[in-house]
Amino acid sequence: MKSIISGLERFMKLTIPGLGRWSIPLVVAIVVLAVLPQVGMPRAWITYLFQFFMILTVANIWSLHAGRSGMITLCLAAFIGLAGYTMTILSYFGIPLPLGIVLGAIVAAVFAFLVFFPVYRLKGVYFAIATLVLPQILQYVFLIWDPVGIPRIGGGAGYAVRGAMLFSRVDVYWMALAVAALSTIVILVVSNSKLGLGLGAIRDNDNAAASSGVDVFRLKLYSFVIGAFIVGLAGGVLYLRSQYIQPISAFNITWQMTAIMAAVIGGLRIQGGPIVGAIIVAILYFWLSGYPGYSMLAQGIILVVIMLTVPQGIVGALGRLRGTRVHRAALQLATTIADRIKGKDNM
Amino acid sequence: MTDISSLAGPLVNGILWGGLFALIGMGLSLVFGVMNLINVAHGDLVILGTYFAFFLSTGLVLRQDLPIAMDPILSLVIVMPVMFGLGFAIQKLLLNRAFTVSAEAPLIIAFGISLIIQNTALKLWSPMSRSLTPPYALDVFVIGPLRIRLVYVIAFVAALIMVFLLREFLRRTYLGRAISATAQNKKASHLMGINTDRVYSFAFAIAMAVSAVAGICLGLIFSFTPQKGIQFLIIAFGVVIIGGLGSIVGTLLGGIIMGLVMTFGGFFLNLNWQMLLLYLIVIVVLAARPQGIFGR
Repeated sequence: MKSIISGLERFMKLTIPGLGRWSIPLVVAIVVLAVLPQVGMPRAWITYLFQFFMILTVANIWSLHAGRSGMITLCLAAFIGLAGYTMTILSYFGIPLPLGIVLGAIVAAVFAFLVFFPVYRLKGVYFAIATLVLPQILQYVFLIWDPVGIPRIGGGAGYAVRGAMLFSRVDVYWMALAVAALSTIVILVVSNSKLGLGLGAIRDNDNAAASSGVDVFRLKLYSFVIGAFIVGLAGGVLYLRSQYIQPISAFNITWQMTAIMAAVIGGLRIQGGPIVGAIIVAILYFWLSGYPGYSMLAQGIILVVIMLTVPQGIVGALGRLRGTRVHRAALQLATTIADRIKGKDNM
Repeated sequence: MTDISSLAGPLVNGILWGGLFALIGMGLSLVFGVMNLINVAHGDLVILGTYFAFFLSTGLVLRQDLPIAMDPILSLVIVMPVMFGLGFAIQKLLLNRAFTVSAEAPLIIAFGISLIIQNTALKLWSPMSRSLTPPYALDVFVIGPLRIRLVYVIAFVAALIMVFLLREFLRRTYLGRAISATAQNKKASHLMGINTDRVYSFAFAIAMAVSAVAGICLGLIFSFTPQKGIQFLIIAFGVVIIGGLGSIVGTLLGGIIMGLVMTFGGFFLNLNWQMLLLYLIVIVVLAARPQGIFGR
């Protein structure tokens, strides 16, 4: 058994360099999550996990931008909405929806590529605000522009996604899982690669990085466009599920807030941080869904508290505990309890 | 096609709206100039001021009607100190600490504050669109062919007064000079014996007091919902970016330019184009001249 695992691990290392010790847990998690709907998972859980996959994807990408590349981007909604709209519009011209999702992501990536040239020159807060304006601009573009030419619904500007009925909840679940898995793998591969090293150097000190021969512009561009593509995929899946798109909700800031929340709560610069953060945000989302509005309020308060008390996030804080007295005490407690339980079994 | 004289309406209204936009921009500009932080919660804080005035003038909170009916402009006597105190508390308890955490922490915390304010306002006053409606809300001056609403004039005059007060305050008082000095060089000011943390708190508090005036004028002119914050944040940012940082007169000019874009956009095109043009101008100015058109 052990040799199989180590063989598998070596195999994974060969195929996806950079995944390292995360390859086995990752593959196991993906397989288990993919099989779950087939073995009678409750319907509600499909909804929960779908939401979790979406949160995880945006959190991953935001941590790629803000945590690893030093770019505070506030335009995730632009990519989500643009990709969703591309898919929806193309569905009226006979393009199948899965292809539409990919094309939507490509449109989002091209958009990211084009806007990056003017936006890159801005530093710090100017950069953040410029990216904040982008989704707002797109929102009004889609309120004005009517590319399909049918009577629209929802504030006079909404479209139904044509043919979305043909995809079941489970189909969409699998697509969301694929996107979330892709985003997680990309984060791991990027952070363990030369690109990640360069991005980290830029984040810590861009002048020093540039003078050491790091191509700051190109690396940030890669990070920005890769993120746009993956968030675009997520946007397509999101609107395939909701079967309906309209400018006000497509370009609103909620997903951006969610991404910040999950990434910061888990740990912005720490591997595994977005996953833990996404789990917490998803649990909060459903736990408080009976009390509309309180979920976001709670998330805002948690965000502020975490940022002030443990800015490295929950995963970072736990990591820092290792080796301290608290950690040792917890370990000791755990082993005594385990021994007691074992003792009971023997009796 | 269009009669030249019909352009006088949007021209005058645009200039008058500019006063409101300048008022909204002033608070953002002060915080931005002093601590180099774009307070992304600024729009929400302005709207919160509007809601305070709404509460005091209608007594409506949590679907209950309390027997309060105060004139919105008179309610400034209460709203301004409340916002001042709130601003002081936010800066002292949250943002001052955030500055020591990391470079992006203040921005993220401001995001958190924005979320908290938005959702609290949603709870207290529901997502319905509201406006402040004192008896004089629809009063109109008629000057020749022009019809000018009284509330536009009130907002413009308020803006002029606040510009004057803020300028004199920054020039003449000890605290004002300390704020200017800290904005120029925090370390040097600290070495000169200025308590920079306290200066930051006062700067934010003053920005919030100005925003209280802005919020009430906003409620008199536009309808508002708890989620309109981001729209006014971007307008405020446009005002600051066009006017240039640290120039209070520039802020007034920036506001007037934004106001004119809005009224002429609405006059020649429609409501959606109006906002699109506004945002496009922000992004174009940002890309072309991030130091502002009137900035150095």
